[in-house]
Amino acid sequence: MEWIKSNLNLFKANFRKETIELRRYLPNTIAMLLTVYIIFMAMFAGIHSVGAPGTVDATIQNTIVNYIFWYLTITIVNGQGYEILTEATRGTFEQLGMSPSGIWRILSARLLAQGILTAAMMIVLLYLSMLTTGQSLNVDFVTIIPIFLLTCISMFGLSFIIAGLTVIVKQIQAFLQIFQFVLAALTFVSLSRAPFLVFFPITKGVDMIRAVMVEGLTLNELGFSNFLVLTTNALVYFIIGLATYLYCERYAMKKGLLAHY
Amino acid sequence: MDSIIEVSGITKVYQKRKTKEKIQAVDNISFQVKRGEIIGLLGPNGAGKTTTIKMICGLLKPDSGQILINGVDNEKHRLRALTHISAVLEGSRNLYWRLTVRENLEYFAGNRGVSRKNVASRVEDLLQKFRLKDKETELVNRLSRGMQQKLAIAVAMLADTEVILLDEPTLGLDIETGYEVREILKAIAKEENRTVIISSHDMDVIQDICERTIIINQGKVVTDDRIEDLLKLFEVRSYTITLGEHLNEKQEHLIKERFLDYQYESNRIQPKLSVELLKTEDIYQLFDILKLNETPVEAIDREIIQFEQVFMKIVKGETTNGVDQVKSQSV
Repeated sequence: MEWIKSNLNLFKANFRKETIELRRYLPNTIAMLLTVYIIFMAMFAGIHSVGAPGTVDATIQNTIVNYIFWYLTITIVNGQGYEILTEATRGTFEQLGMSPSGIWRILSARLLAQGILTAAMMIVLLYLSMLTTGQSLNVDFVTIIPIFLLTCISMFGLSFIIAGLTVIVKQIQAFLQIFQFVLAALTFVSLSRAPFLVFFPITKGVDMIRAVMVEGLTLNELGFSNFLVLTTNALVYFIIGLATYLYCERYAMKKGLLAHY
Repeated sequence: MDSIIEVSGITKVYQKRKTKEKIQAVDNISFQVKRGEIIGLLGPNGAGKTTTIKMICGLLKPDSGQILINGVDNEKHRLRALTHISAVLEGSRNLYWRLTVRENLEYFAGNRGVSRKNVASRVEDLLQKFRLKDKETELVNRLSRGMQQKLAIAVAMLADTEVILLDEPTLGLDIETGYEVREILKAIAKEENRTVIISSHDMDVIQDICERTIIINQGKVVTDDRIEDLLKLFEVRSYTITLGEHLNEKQEHLIKERFLDYQYESNRIQPKLSVELLKTEDIYQLFDILKLNETPVEAIDREIIQFEQVFMKIVKGETTNGVDQVKSQSV
């Protein structure tokens, strides 16, 4: 009971911090959303002008889903790296290290908070995109939410790997910029074109969400096997991610790199 | 009083990335801190103070040795050990500059798993105590350096841990704020009955607040003693005698022979003779020499040693009067 309470307080504190910062720097938040939206509209215009007339609708619908997930993935996965960089530079990272909650739990609470807030913003963006493009996607929350949550777990795993690398290397900005394109590949490429991506994080989940939102598949139609693969993938990546992070943290503590920038 | 911190034989060697050169930051350090004690950790730059503090905090793993915090091994059970410790390591840099004073306090409490409700009265109390109440809604980046420093200490206090580690709490503060922070630290020491370890270059802070000091030099503990005892130990039996007349050759020769450490300033209207005695009784020998020529004595002044001088003597490895080696004791 005490453990649950303590974790809940930890989450609440981090959710509050994220909300305060988003609200306090509202123009920044709005500018960020506008940028995402403008880039999307540019992509939409591009597809419209060069896409084959017969497949243009499906392409736009896929693009909406892919793009929104790409943005969400960048925010969660790379965001963690940037966050640690900022904390190490400012000097607050050591304070996180001094908490009996442990850095990984604080980072998890932040990830969860950021995940919820970014997802809320993405829902707004999703409806805005549908409204602007005149495309209608199947927003079946009952089917989407479990897939989304499982996909997020694999995202968190990947994010822990990035966090671990950042704790050791610190000057990782260039890598994070390149990594955006790796994340683009994981979210944009369909499993039907690259089946091996099923072993990678995120792809399976985005593929299933595309099937729900674009093709209109339901929970039953997706079937147990798809969920089994997704769950296994999510858990494996989360465990690998967390283990990698904890190893990197121990290594950093041994070498004196924890707050070193 | 039982020990709350037990440091046994910790060592830490860093390796430079490019040259692979090894640097011994901490070399087999051992000491114990009793519950409720206020310890000053002193040493010149690069002595190994911060490395030692970070190892106690569990932010850095020692290459060998063991640190027990309230009986808990801080390497094997790091998080459990951290429930007994809080620290201010980089002062104002330990805060979230985009959050307000109150939000920082509440956020750090949350990170320790404590709810805002449970910490509310403590936050109020600290805001009052640290004279930050009127700044509670102010963003940290708009506060002065001194206020940020006070807030960082308040954050560490909020955790209600038995041990607080403060690394350079007065560094970079102006005289007024430095004094205020010092007063706050004194109050913490008196009223809160916590174990406090302060690492500082500010001798006044250490002398003012700490009961005991551990001096580290080149990664080793060179002294671990009560400040009072150190001052006594290094108490200079040094006297400056203002004379009414110049000493003659014989007198000078005798002084040179009997007193190892002396200085004679003859180029003054009233010559001055400074001698360092091994024993207080040796002053009679000096008087005997002065009596040889009936040299009049105008004044006798005894030099009072400052803690800063003691520190410098220890760091330079100087011996004390009648003591062959710098006293090093484990308490």
